[in-house]
Amino acid sequence: MDFFPLYLTIKVSFFATVLAIGAGLLLAWVMAKREFWGKGLLDVVIMQPLVIPPTVLGYYLLALFGRSGWLGSLLDSLGVEIVFTWKGAVLAAFVSSLPLFVKPARAALEGVGSDLENAARLLGKTEWQVIRTITLPLAWRGLLAGAVMAFARATGEFGATLMVAGNIPGVTQTLPIAIYDAVQAGDSSSANVLVLIITLFSFSVLFVAGKIGRQRL
Amino acid sequence: MLEISLKKKLKGFEVGVELRLEEELLVLFGPSGAGKTMILKMISGIAAPDEGRVVSGGEVLFDSAKGVDLPVRKRKVGYLFQDYALFPHMTVEENIAYGIEGPKGTAVKKVAELLSLMRLTGLEKRYPHELSGGQKQRTALARTLAAEPGVLLLDEPFSALDYQVREKLRADLLNIHRLYPITTVLVTHDLEEAFMLGRKIAVINNGSIEQSGTREDVFYRPRTRNVARFMGVRNIFAGIVSGLEDSSVLIDTPDIGVIKAPRPQSGALTAGQEVSFCIRPEEILVIRPDRVLGKVQDNILECGITGAIGKGSTHILYLETGQGRTPLKVELPNFVVRKLELAVGRRVKVSLKRENIWVIA
Repeated sequence: MDFFPLYLTIKVSFFATVLAIGAGLLLAWVMAKREFWGKGLLDVVIMQPLVIPPTVLGYYLLALFGRSGWLGSLLDSLGVEIVFTWKGAVLAAFVSSLPLFVKPARAALEGVGSDLENAARLLGKTEWQVIRTITLPLAWRGLLAGAVMAFARATGEFGATLMVAGNIPGVTQTLPIAIYDAVQAGDSSSANVLVLIITLFSFSVLFVAGKIGRQRL
Repeated sequence: MLEISLKKKLKGFEVGVELRLEEELLVLFGPSGAGKTMILKMISGIAAPDEGRVVSGGEVLFDSAKGVDLPVRKRKVGYLFQDYALFPHMTVEENIAYGIEGPKGTAVKKVAELLSLMRLTGLEKRYPHELSGGQKQRTALARTLAAEPGVLLLDEPFSALDYQVREKLRADLLNIHRLYPITTVLVTHDLEEAFMLGRKIAVINNGSIEQSGTREDVFYRPRTRNVARFMGVRNIFAGIVSGLEDSSVLIDTPDIGVIKAPRPQSGALTAGQEVSFCIRPEEILVIRPDRVLGKVQDNILECGITGAIGKGSTHILYLETGQGRTPLKVELPNFVVRKLELAVGRRVKVSLKRENIWVIA
């Protein structure tokens, strides 16, 4: 039994989630607290990975990050290779899990009414103090629930990962891809173990996310 | 001292106000949607005016001409939100201490002082959702005062409270204002509240001040028909000047005949000119049928009662003289209504005393 896919999936999902939280917090913040031209369009773009076929998403990423793509050639000149490496898997997982973080994060930040933040400003607090003492303490449940959902989505990423990172055993073969491989090869005992692992994980994630989301002061 | 002069375009109307007040309590009174809250938001910096100036205690907070726009946190403006905006994740004492600067010892002392002043002792460890409406309001006021603001802005502070609690807290607010005589602007659409709290009242309509002055001025000497209407002067009549005397003016109205009113000190009236005048429903006298009319009395009208509405401790009677369509509204204590057996269908004599009438120039 090869546990590399499990290890790789955890590693990829971890980095993808970290990226999703970083970029997602910024996006969620802007969407929740600012009004600007093209906000609706930005929302549509961020939410795309939820509805677009993963293979199409993978195709876009390939076009963008492949050696001839404009981001890919830029990174290539810096000596960074994305396509067909584990970083490609991170990229695919990051983009597909981003909306799952942004949606609840935005709702959580919007949930902290502007009156509360203004009340803190009126009491002499700087923007950073307002974020630290009012916004984050009131929104962290939503943010954490979003992070958990994003992590779960990252572990299950299949289509886009296959397009961008390929299926190289021991290099880019993540758990969902390993399951597909095992089934194709008729190795049902490996498939069963991997399926069980991912099922248990998904169940506990939704359970935990539900708990976090429900608890209120 | 607070001096403001602000302009801002909003959907459908424009807010444009100029106000100047000392360390006193000014009530901004007006109907919902008149722009009252927007004025508070612009003073505090939460909303940006298109142009204008805000000076508080000698410090310029905003001046569009000079490009001054202090951030909200530096304005030292205390703001009580309509729904209080208490921090739900903090206890009563944490909420109150939130804006206090300086060493912990002084903060603790100050919180204790405010807790007892606001009758919140014993509730310091409670969270906002464990408080009653009145307790929430007092916590929010304590939190605002704790930061030692130079100006206090109160946005409909009593609108979310029960009637009894409201009465008590209004009295509390006046006491607190005596203890902390901070320049205060209170926004309300409640006439009773405006009269009880504001020695000075500014009446806002459609974004601008229709009249400002002492409460007696605004209440008894409205300058426009709108102000009269907002102030609960329910008898407003239009007529034509039919005669002028030294201190009186005779006004011929289609509704209640010729009325003798005091001649306004300002503004020259000429015969034939159209004017409005008003009289408060509670200032109309009912003449008992058995009373002998001794001295000459002005404006005695014989009316039929066409309607009566109970209002708790008083009744509003609708009287018609048979001449016009606008009825006269008279507010009388219930016991008078009972004693004189005033009911729909009966006739009654009333006097609109000359000095109770106000001519809107």
